[in-house]
Amino acid sequence: MASPSPSERRLQKELSSLMKDPPPGVSVDANAVYQHLNLWNVHMKGADGTLYQGEDFQLQFRFSSKYPFDSPEVTFVGDNIPIHPHVYSNGHICLSILTDDWSPALSVQSVCLSIISMLSSCKEKASTLSIEKH
Amino acid sequence: MADIFNFIFGVVRNIFRMFSSSRNPLNNSLNIFIKCNTGNTLTVGLDPKWDIKDVKNIIAPKLGANPDEVKIIFAGKELDDSIIIEDCDLGEQSTLHAVKLKDLSIRATKQKKCSLLRETVEDEDEITLLQEKNNRDKSHFYVYCSVCAAMKIGKLRIRCSKCKSGAFTVDTDPKSWNDVLKPNKISGHCEQNDCPDGVFGWAQFYFRCAEHICQGENDIAVPLYLLKNNLRKIPCLACTEIKDIVFVFTCREAHVTCLECFRVYAVLRLRERQFVLDDSFGYTISCPVGCENSLIDECHHFKLLTKEQYEMYQKFATEEYILKAGGVLCPQPGCGEGIIVDLKCDKIVCVNGCGYVFCRKCLQGYHIGECNSVDNNISIDNIQHVTDPAKALQARWDEATNVAIRVTTKPCPKCRTATERSGGCMHMICTRCSFHWCWVCQIEWSRDCMGTHWFG
Repeated sequence: MASPSPSERRLQKELSSLMKDPPPGVSVDANAVYQHLNLWNVHMKGADGTLYQGEDFQLQFRFSSKYPFDSPEVTFVGDNIPIHPHVYSNGHICLSILTDDWSPALSVQSVCLSIISMLSSCKEKASTLSIEKH
Repeated sequence: MADIFNFIFGVVRNIFRMFSSSRNPLNNSLNIFIKCNTGNTLTVGLDPKWDIKDVKNIIAPKLGANPDEVKIIFAGKELDDSIIIEDCDLGEQSTLHAVKLKDLSIRATKQKKCSLLRETVEDEDEITLLQEKNNRDKSHFYVYCSVCAAMKIGKLRIRCSKCKSGAFTVDTDPKSWNDVLKPNKISGHCEQNDCPDGVFGWAQFYFRCAEHICQGENDIAVPLYLLKNNLRKIPCLACTEIKDIVFVFTCREAHVTCLECFRVYAVLRLRERQFVLDDSFGYTISCPVGCENSLIDECHHFKLLTKEQYEMYQKFATEEYILKAGGVLCPQPGCGEGIIVDLKCDKIVCVNGCGYVFCRKCLQGYHIGECNSVDNNISIDNIQHVTDPAKALQARWDEATNVAIRVTTKPCPKCRTATERSGGCMHMICTRCSFHWCWVCQIEWSRDCMGTHWFG
């Protein structure tokens, strides 16, 4: 078998570090990831004391072969998409580090933390529909 | 049967012996050129176990001097009598410089501890000599050698900036890459008899490839000074592994990648045409994090890519330069010659290339009057002799490619670069001119697009 590419080696390391030391409320389905290293399902719990307390979310990370030089595609999937001004009803997330401000020094862990803090800082549950009316 | 085995065993042993002796020429005699300040060059076979005193004893009669009056200079340093030749990092056919002293009194004042110039030059912080000794086998410079056509270990060498003679001693060691790369940073003393600088001169640093036998004075190599030995065990930014040789970017944070990830990164950005054309550094990229002041300013670092990738780099760099200078690229398939003509001129002839004559505005064959629409399929009706239209359609060279390009791409509304959308949202950013546009509307990206069809 060919030796793993830099991108695969990086994902392996990120997976073990996420399993060992996950951000609060975050867990990853490791068995599914071992099947497809470029597609991760990450479970996220709404943090206590925030509008999303008690809710469960699912995030999907899709990594291209250009990772980590290109950002992962991160979307909410499943039945429960958080109602948030920066999250579209189809699960797309409007977060600068996922596009223009991506840097290979970021990681799955730091993306999860940013999403947690994005949800936690929300004062009022409102959907992105407000943008569409402009 | 036993004979055959003996024979094979003998052959294997001989091959092994040849191999080990070619790997380690120091076991035998070392052929060295000794250049004298009188202008003569001698070729001598030296035993690597000898010390410099022994060398002086051989050389002195040829200079017409006593051994005490002879100075041996190598890589900017006078070599002390007690130094053993094999500790000097001399390669086969290296050159030592022998100088007959004019005045013995100068010598006493100049006598200093002699550290050989083999240490890695480290920016800002010096690595202590102790550390150097521990990492003796690991501390190297890296160069691009055009003879070997590869990245190789390099040797730092010094000559007089005026007369280019190697009979030059430095007053201080270089402390940083700045001292080595910029002229007139380290002063010294040229021993060449006819040198105009003589007592006070500037050192000029250059590099040789350490991995092939020196082919003469002009056989020099380009330092790849962003490559360093990973003595501090810094993990690669991208794959997070700790490799022996790393690429250190010039940003304040000095981000580190391993060589493999550097290659992956550079090729990705090259293919996406994300290199920038910088006025002072040329066609280059910054650190993967995108830090300020991190553009790679020595393009030989891109020689770390494969030959084909480097050729692609050169081609793209030339194209971008021509476009920036207001020129055009010949639109004929397979040509692409760059042409720089007066901005007012619309009729362009590909003079040094294929000879195609075309219109600057629509890049189609030259015409008088306004440009037609882009779709200028040759009408088969105009052809006089009888052909089967169906067969003629199939028999068009490269037509399938043209059709595929037309079907799968849309032109950037600003610069017309054919763009393919392979996935993601409808917000397109042109890889050539950085224009933000909408795949659906084919106009500039707006909040309306974001609201109604951002994701299709």
